[in-house]
Amino acid sequence: MALNSAGTPTGPVRLDGALGEGGGQVLRTALALSLATGRPFDIVNIRAKRAKPGLLRQHLTAVNAAAAVSSAEVEGAEPGSQTLRFRPGAVRPGEYAFQVGTAGSACLVAQTILLPLALAGGASSVVIEGGTHNPAAPPFDHLAEAWLPHLRTMGFRIDATLERAGFYPAGGGRLRLGIAPAAAFRPLVIEDRGAILVREARAVMALIPRSVGDRELDVVVRSSSLLRADCSVVTVDSPGPGNVLLLTIRCEGGTEVFTGFGEHRRRAESVAAEAVDEMREWHASGVPVGRHLADQLLLPMALAAGGSFRTLAPTMHTTTNCDVIAAFLGDVVTIERGTERGVDAEVCGGVRTSRVVVRGAATPAA
Amino acid sequence: MNTKQPKLRTVVLGIVGRSLDMSPAHTRWDRWRPTVDLCRQEDLVVDQLELFVHAGDERLAATLTDDIRSVSPETDVRQHPIAARDFWDFEEVFATFHDFARAYPFDTDREQYYVHITTGTHVEQICLFLLCESRHFPARLVQMGPPRKNGPQSPGSFKVIDLDLSRYDRLASRFRKERREAASVLKGGIETRNAAFNALIARIEHVALASKAPVLLTGPTGAGKSALARRLYELRRARRQVDGALVEVNCATLRGDAAMSTLFGHVKGAFTGALQDRPGLLRAADHGMLFLDEIGELGLDEQAMLLRALEEKTFLPLGADSEVRSDFQLLAGTNRDLASDVRAGRFREDLLRRIDLWTFRLPGLRDRAEDVEPNLAWELDQFSRLTGHAVTFSREARDAFVAFATSPEATWPGNFRDFNAAVVRMSTLARGGRIDVALVREEIDRLRAAWDPQAGEPGGGDAEIVAHAVGARRADEIDLFDRAQLAEVLRVCSRSRSLSDAGRALFAASRARKTSSNDADRLRKYLARWELTFADAATPQ
Repeated sequence: MALNSAGTPTGPVRLDGALGEGGGQVLRTALALSLATGRPFDIVNIRAKRAKPGLLRQHLTAVNAAAAVSSAEVEGAEPGSQTLRFRPGAVRPGEYAFQVGTAGSACLVAQTILLPLALAGGASSVVIEGGTHNPAAPPFDHLAEAWLPHLRTMGFRIDATLERAGFYPAGGGRLRLGIAPAAAFRPLVIEDRGAILVREARAVMALIPRSVGDRELDVVVRSSSLLRADCSVVTVDSPGPGNVLLLTIRCEGGTEVFTGFGEHRRRAESVAAEAVDEMREWHASGVPVGRHLADQLLLPMALAAGGSFRTLAPTMHTTTNCDVIAAFLGDVVTIERGTERGVDAEVCGGVRTSRVVVRGAATPAA
Repeated sequence: MNTKQPKLRTVVLGIVGRSLDMSPAHTRWDRWRPTVDLCRQEDLVVDQLELFVHAGDERLAATLTDDIRSVSPETDVRQHPIAARDFWDFEEVFATFHDFARAYPFDTDREQYYVHITTGTHVEQICLFLLCESRHFPARLVQMGPPRKNGPQSPGSFKVIDLDLSRYDRLASRFRKERREAASVLKGGIETRNAAFNALIARIEHVALASKAPVLLTGPTGAGKSALARRLYELRRARRQVDGALVEVNCATLRGDAAMSTLFGHVKGAFTGALQDRPGLLRAADHGMLFLDEIGELGLDEQAMLLRALEEKTFLPLGADSEVRSDFQLLAGTNRDLASDVRAGRFREDLLRRIDLWTFRLPGLRDRAEDVEPNLAWELDQFSRLTGHAVTFSREARDAFVAFATSPEATWPGNFRDFNAAVVRMSTLARGGRIDVALVREEIDRLRAAWDPQAGEPGGGDAEIVAHAVGARRADEIDLFDRAQLAEVLRVCSRSRSLSDAGRALFAASRARKTSSNDADRLRKYLARWELTFADAATPQ
C-alpha cells in the first residue's frame, strides 16, 4: 500500500526535539511516520531540556527496531546523542524480536513499528521483551483492549498477546504481535460512547501481597460506580515485583482502560485514586475517547482512512503529536474545539471537550 | 542497521560484590545493587560484562547474571572465577588480576573498557586501580553512587574516572604550575632562556623528585654546581622528601688524617689532638644531603670508606669500635674527567659507577649567551639586596656590557664566578647607583687583561698593548684578528732599535726566500694603517 503518492514532498523532514512536549513521543511518532511514508528525517535537540539530555536506551531500542524493519541508515544512535539522521529503506514484513533494556516499555516500541509493518503488504510476527506495564506509557491492556479494536474497525488486522507481564525495575515481560496485511481502510467515526456494557476493575499483582490489591479495590468500590462483583485481584508471573490497577469500561462505542501504577513506597490508595480520577473525568464528560486513547488514534487514522472522534480537550502531548504528523503529511488533523488551539472548549459535565477530525492518507474502501 | 562510524563496544570488568550486590531474593529489586544497576543506566549501554566471582559466590553471580539479562538484554555477561583464596591479600589479589589482564584479549580499536570499582574488597579495588594506572587494564574506572533516599527503585548514578590527569584541564595547569615552580627553584629564580639549559633543569627536576640515588654534577669551574646542589636540596625539602641538613664540603680542602676525621668523624683519643668525639660530616648529613664538591680530589682511602657508606649506609669513624649509620643522598661535583682519573688509578672505578648513575653536565657561561641578560638582572638584584642600595645600568652601558659579555672574545673562563665578580665590581664603583659606559669600558678592559693568554708576559697582554698604542676607544673597534697581529708587531717594535731592525725580524721568512727586499717600507705601511709611526710603536709600554 503506497502512501507516498505523487505530489508528496520527499526530502528529509526536519524536526526540532525542543518543540512542544518534546520527549521521546516526538521521536517515536517520527520513526513510525518515516517508516510508513518512506520519508527520511533529521531531528535535533532531542530531549534538550531534560536532566539527562539526548537519547536514552529505551529510545535507542525504538530507533534500532525501526532501523531493523526497514534496513535504515542511521547516524547519531548513541546514548546521549541529541541529533539523529534517519534514512529508512523499504519496510520488510517478517518475524522480529526486540528487547528493551532498563525495563523500558515494550508497548511504546510496539507502537513505533506496528503500523509501518501493517502497511508493508505482508504478514509479520513480532515479539518484544521489556516492561509491559510502565508508568508514562500505555499498559498492554490499554493497547489490546482500547486501541487495537478501533484499529481493527479501521481495517487493520492486528492482534496482541501478553505472554508475560513485566514491571519496572526488573522488566522481563513479553508481548507478541500478529500482523496481517490490511485489506481495505474505512474511516473511524466515534461520536458517542453508547451504552456501557461491562465495568471491570483488576488489581494485577506480581510478587506483591494480595492485601495491597484488596486495598486498591476498596477505593474503587468506595469512590466509583463499580461494584464489588466487578472487582478482582489477579496474580501474574513476572521476574520482579509489580502492581497495576486497571479499570476497563466496555461501551457500545468502544472500550476505555484507566490505569493506576503501583510504585515502590507508593500507597495503594494513591494508586487507586490515580485510575479512579481519570475514569471519573472521562465519565462526567460523556465523550467516548479518553485523553491517552485520543493521542494514540491520531497516527493510525492519518495513515488509514481518517475519521473523527469526540474526546477531552487536547493536551500538550496531543498538539505535539499533531505537529509531527503535520511535518510528514501536512495539516491532516483538525481539532474543532479545544483550548490549546485557541478555540473555545465545549464544556460537558464540567469537563472541557473537543472534536478531532483526521483526513486519512489512504483511500477509503468503496 | 548500517551506521557510518563503527561504535566502540563497551566492556565493563567488575567483581561480584559479596555485600553490596547481595540481597534476599524477594526484596532484591527494591535494593540498590551496583553491579546490576550499572547495567540499568539509561545513558550507558554495557555490551559486555566480565564478572569476577569469588569462590562461594556462584549462586549470587547466577542471580545477578539472570537479573542483568532481564534489565539489560544488550549485555553479554561472562563469569570468571577468581583463584585468589584470600582477597584481602595484596600480593595474591594483584597477581590474580595481573594474570587476567595479561591473558585478556584487549582490543582498544573496537572496544572501550571500564573497570567497575564499587564492589570488591578494598585491596581488590586498590589492585584494579593500580593495574588501570599502569595500563595493564587499558580502562577507565567507573564508580556507582546509590540513589537518593526514597528514589523509587532508581539505579543510582555512575561516574567515570579517567586516570589520565592530562585530560583534566584544571589539574594539568596545577601540575604545570608546580613544575614551573620547581624549575624556578632550581634556576634560583633566574628566568633563563637557553633552551638546552632549561631542558637540563627540567630533567634534573624530574630526577631529583623521583630518585634518591647519587647525582653527579660536572662542568667547568664557576658553572654553578654548588648553587645547583643547594637548590636541589631546597626543592626536595620543600616537597618534604628530605628532613635532614645539607652538608657541603670541597674535597680539595681535605688532606691527610684530617680528611678522614672531617668526613667520617673520630672518637676521643683516636689520634693525638683528638680531645673529644667528632661526629663527622656524613653523620651530620643523616636524613639529609651531602654535597662533595671536587670529589675527584678525594684520597683513595676516603673513596673506599665513602663507597661503603653509600652501599651499606654505615661506616667506621676513626678509632671507633662500632659502625655508625647515616642515610643521606650524595651530590657530587667535579670539573675533572673522572673516567681518565680511573684509568690513571686516581679514582676508584666502583665508586664512579656508584655515583654517575645520574650525571648532569652544567654548561659554562659561554655556551649560554641567551642567559647573560637574565643573570645580569639577577646579579644586580642580589647586590641590591645585600647592600641595600639599588644599582642600575644606563641603557647604553647595559648594551655595551651585554655585547661584550656575549661576544666570542668573552671566554668567561671562571664562568658565573667571573660574571658575578664583574657585576659586583661595577656595582661597587657605580656612583649614585648608576653604572655608566665609562665604568663598563673599564671593566671590559680589566676582564680582557685578566683573560689574555699573554697576560703574564712582559709588557702585558694584547689588549693592553694595542690600547696603549692606539687608545682605548679605538682599540675597542679593532677585531680580535687584527689585534693579535698588531700586538705582536708592537711587541717586536718595542724590542727593536730601528724600523729596519724591526722589519728584518718581522719579515725574516720571506727575506730568507728573497721574495721581499724592503722590509722597513712594508712595516711602515702597516703601521700607517693604524696611524702609527715607528716611534709610537717602539714606545715602551
